[in-house]
Amino acid sequence: MTDVEFVIAGYGVILGGIAAYVALLLRRLRIAREALDRAAGSPPPDAPR
Amino acid sequence: MSELRRGLAVAIAIARKDATSELRGRQAAGSTLFFAAIVLLLFGFALGPNAQRLAEAAPGLLWLAIVFGGLLTMARLHQLEAEDGALEQLALYPVDRRAIYAGKALAGAAAMLVLGGLLVPVVAILYTIPLGSAWLPLLAAVVLGAIGFAAVGTAYAGLTVRMRAREVMLPLLMLPIVAPLLLAAVKVTVTALGGDPLGEQGAWLQLLAGFDVIMLVVGAGTYGFLLEE
Amino acid sequence: MKSRVLGFVALLAVIAAAIFGLFVVPADLHQGDAQRVMYVHVGSAWLGELSFGLAALAGLGYLWRRDLRFDALAHSAVEVGVLFTAFAIWGGMMWGRPVWGVFWQWEDPRLATTALLLALGIGYLLLRRLSDDPTRRASRAAVVGLIAALDIPIIHFSVIWWRGLHQGPTFIDPAKSLKAAVPMLFVAALLFMLTAFTLTWAWLLIRRYQLARLETRIEEEVRLSRINAARAAATAPGGAVEEPAG
Repeated sequence: MTDVEFVIAGYGVILGGIAAYVALLLRRLRIAREALDRAAGSPPPDAPR
Repeated sequence: MSELRRGLAVAIAIARKDATSELRGRQAAGSTLFFAAIVLLLFGFALGPNAQRLAEAAPGLLWLAIVFGGLLTMARLHQLEAEDGALEQLALYPVDRRAIYAGKALAGAAAMLVLGGLLVPVVAILYTIPLGSAWLPLLAAVVLGAIGFAAVGTAYAGLTVRMRAREVMLPLLMLPIVAPLLLAAVKVTVTALGGDPLGEQGAWLQLLAGFDVIMLVVGAGTYGFLLEE
Repeated sequence: MKSRVLGFVALLAVIAAAIFGLFVVPADLHQGDAQRVMYVHVGSAWLGELSFGLAALAGLGYLWRRDLRFDALAHSAVEVGVLFTAFAIWGGMMWGRPVWGVFWQWEDPRLATTALLLALGIGYLLLRRLSDDPTRRASRAAVVGLIAALDIPIIHFSVIWWRGLHQGPTFIDPAKSLKAAVPMLFVAALLFMLTAFTLTWAWLLIRRYQLARLETRIEEEVRLSRINAARAAATAPGGAVEEPAG
């Protein structure tokens, strides 16, 4: 492996990892909001949007 | 001032109670010691048979065995009360939480001291280590290590004793915390047995002492939060 | 919402900083292109440590005030912290292999400390998973967070002295490699990525905190509905008990 491949692996995993976590977070947020709506009826006024 | 005296009395009472159940339930404490000895034996198989390699590894192996045996010891000291629901009873008494912590930590340190003290000759024999004048710094390392381990162990055992998967949670939480204690104790042991060309033994003993102080203070301060549920 | 703006700014900053560090800045004379990994490695390490510090303070806040919002903040901070700490280790390895020749070595105090930090963070998250009651969970987590945070400086010193109090390092210290006679461009790239990462970190923290609060509310709703269902079953006609007075 040349140096460049380590740089790609380094940036790829880290930046890709951040992107993956962002996607995961947004998905969990969406699921949680839906679950709360179902459980509690209409969303409370201070629900984050 | 009577607050302090009452707290001290409580601590000693708790420590004495724990010591008594340790001595009465001789199988448990003895089993732990035996387990640690078997671990040392197994290290011999894992790293031997070259005597020199074992002798060089001996300080590390000694302290690993103390740590593994220590995990079982700290868990055991909290299990008895948890099973009888005695922890909840203890929490109801209007007694300073720090006194309860002090008592249990004292018992824990004593148990660790016995464990460590008995494992040293086992290591000396199994890995052919002449102890000689090394016994004093070794004793210091065992004492300080016992106190530090018990300080952390009392808090974490109190924390995990009523949890699911507590058998794995206590080691999982404790091991990263005691990594510096392990490191320092091994360093003191190495310099005690093999000479101290860099003159670093004092620094490591100070690190151990610092660890003990910090963990005792934090443990005492937070134990109350762990008791009340 | 403001956090959306923050999110977009952070995204743009990260992309720009990455382009800068990968293509604009020249390669290091000695380390070659591997030097570029430092820009993401240092940022990740810094944010990991910041996260755990924040988590410890938030835990302290919970013990002091008993406000579960502190607990939510602590949880969020640790989760994000574990993420960045894992990145820091990965970055360290991706830098280490070309520069040191090995993925891991024990003489670098930062690597050993970061590994312990990761272990402490994962332990915290596992602890939370195994606790059901919210207040008990919050207390336990706060204590663990506090003890871990106080252990960090001790770990730090012990690992630095480990190499020998008077001995020089055999392996290049990554932090020193950046400071010694470094061209301004390298420093700029580092600071640029650091800033971009910090913005990202802030956004992630906000979102994770929102999620934590939502999940707490869901937990409460589930618990409430279970209690109501049990009561209904117990007091229905033909049920087991009479509705207790009061």
